[in-house]
Amino acid sequence: MRKPKAWKLLTGLAVAGVLAVSLAGCGTSSSTGPSSGGQVSLLETGSTLLYPLFNIWVPDYTAKNTNIHITTQGTGSGTGISQATNGSAQIGASDAYMNDAFLQKTPGMLNIPMAISAQQINYNVPGLNDVHLKLNGPALAKIYSQTTYWDDPAIATLNPGMKLPHKVIVPVHRSDGSGDTFIFTQYLTFSTPSWKAGPNAGLNISWPAVQGGVGANGNPGMVQALQQNQYSIAYVGISWLDQTNAAKLGEAQLQNYDGNFVLPTPDTIQAAANALYKTTPQDERISLVFASGANSYPIINYEYAIINQKQANADTATAVKNFLTWALSPTGGGSTTYLDKVHFQPLPPSIVTLSQNQINKIGS
Amino acid sequence: MSRPTPWRESLIRATSGICAASALFFLFAVLAVMFVFAWPSIIFNGWHFLWGVPWSIGNLYGGNFVVHNGIEAPQGAEYGMLVFLVGTVLTSLIALVVAVPVSLGVAVFLTEVAPARLAAAVGVLVELLSGVPSVVFGLWGVEVVAPLVGHGLGIFLTRTLGFIPFFAGPVGTGVGLLSAGLVLAVMIIPIIAAISRDILARVPRDMKEQGLALGVTRWELVRTIVLPYARSGIIGAVVLGLGRAMGETMAVLMVSGSAINILPHNVYSPVGTMAANIVALLDSAMTDSTGMAVHALAELALALFMITLIVNLLVPVVTSGVNIIAGTVPGAGGEKH
Repeated sequence: MRKPKAWKLLTGLAVAGVLAVSLAGCGTSSSTGPSSGGQVSLLETGSTLLYPLFNIWVPDYTAKNTNIHITTQGTGSGTGISQATNGSAQIGASDAYMNDAFLQKTPGMLNIPMAISAQQINYNVPGLNDVHLKLNGPALAKIYSQTTYWDDPAIATLNPGMKLPHKVIVPVHRSDGSGDTFIFTQYLTFSTPSWKAGPNAGLNISWPAVQGGVGANGNPGMVQALQQNQYSIAYVGISWLDQTNAAKLGEAQLQNYDGNFVLPTPDTIQAAANALYKTTPQDERISLVFASGANSYPIINYEYAIINQKQANADTATAVKNFLTWALSPTGGGSTTYLDKVHFQPLPPSIVTLSQNQINKIGS
Repeated sequence: MSRPTPWRESLIRATSGICAASALFFLFAVLAVMFVFAWPSIIFNGWHFLWGVPWSIGNLYGGNFVVHNGIEAPQGAEYGMLVFLVGTVLTSLIALVVAVPVSLGVAVFLTEVAPARLAAAVGVLVELLSGVPSVVFGLWGVEVVAPLVGHGLGIFLTRTLGFIPFFAGPVGTGVGLLSAGLVLAVMIIPIIAAISRDILARVPRDMKEQGLALGVTRWELVRTIVLPYARSGIIGAVVLGLGRAMGETMAVLMVSGSAINILPHNVYSPVGTMAANIVALLDSAMTDSTGMAVHALAELALALFMITLIVNLLVPVVTSGVNIIAGTVPGAGGEKH
């Protein structure tokens, strides 16, 4: 005896339904965020420049606050911004602030400076890695726009008397969405009209076609690309200074707004910050690149925690708030004990206040 | 032994039928979703998307927007996939050129040459290789293959094959087309080799024995009897490998040099592939308030999907043709896996 077709279909649907429900059940049981017993899990993701700092913050903080578990990831500022916005991470780390139009579409996103960072221009030119070659925006714009030799007039005139090799420069750029790309291309945009009219600045820009130019993933990828390739040049976050020094890479002196050539040192970074920090608006989204001042280093920036003002629940909101308050505090995570290890500079007191005001907005 | 009762039988039929239909359902669902996601980009970029070289997200921080064909995008936004299409095709081609002979060598060795115990051991190793996560291959590519190409193999090739335009220098950094192709080759060898081995093992013994009875050498046996008999199945294996190579993301991202806006000028040039580019650009694309950057990546994904689909659909056409030419038994060795 055969069952009617309708019966066949019905049993099939029932089985499929049971399968679907059980699968859905699997999906809901594994969610991040707070669980019972006051335990809260937070995910921090984003900037590979800020990553080393979070990595020394988190163990110290969670050792004293055992109910909080924080996972850190170095994925690039683009990921930090997008994952904090879509809710898959509670803390997004970014060297770049969010753009106006995107912020309008995602109201309630906070851009909170946690420290001041800088960016080095590193190179690997045998024999010249210990001399701190002088470079400026137009020379870098040329290097990243067309095939350029190390003895190009644009570089030679900045380094009189220096014996430069006639070798093709390998410009290395970030392939992932990166706040380092953002501040580097801001330096080029602010200093070089042709770059401003062309590629301009962003987390991910449309790099001009340069034969042999390569993309690298994250600051670790940049350092590795420099190490592996002679005659290469790249922009690397200051928190990777120990690694670039260990790799014996060259570090360029950059021409600042006033025309002087400076290295990223605590003094020059502070000088640049002092020139600009007073103009910081309430929402703290501002570029600190190409500051005026005789001693100002041209590529510095606020390191941002990108946070959704409205967290999933009260426990998570409190945990994020407490952690950021500690991290910002000059006696906590904002102390030189932590910042010196990654060569960051502390925020001026008035900016700490602005940031704390923003942290206080976090709720659920 | 009792026959299944009718209701059990109909249950099995119905569930297996639904499972079979679900494959088709998911295929069309994915296609439909990607099409919907890509639609604004298709309208905005038009046909230019297919052969355009520049890929630009536009100036997100400028606050200016343009409207083209009724679709809004940041000023300067422009999308063309040619660089990534060329990167995908060329890296996959290099992978096939290297992987197919090696894989067939492995398959012939395992089925025709090696003693049974050795064949079993090597066979397990080959299958193990196919289970290695792609990021591991990527790391190996960055640490070993790229420096090797940059400082050794590339220079050797420019000296020996430099008269062929595409092999002439400069070699550059090592990351690029050749390194990506070589890493992909290693990743698809286990796939092609394992399937080819299974197919070669199915060549009927009496056919081989007839050949041996006629006094052919082992090499002649492989060349004139085994390979022609298994040809259509081997082509199926190669296409599976090709599909893997075209879709591979992580390992390629790590060794390709992520070129953008520039076509490769030689075999050592940095390239970008469609899959790798989607991963590299997706995060910052999400900060485009108009959504155009994500739509463009969806169109890129749609294009990759269509290409893979077309390649797979071509298999029956190609293999049936080969069968006729080779004059072998139609359908022999043509089982799909």
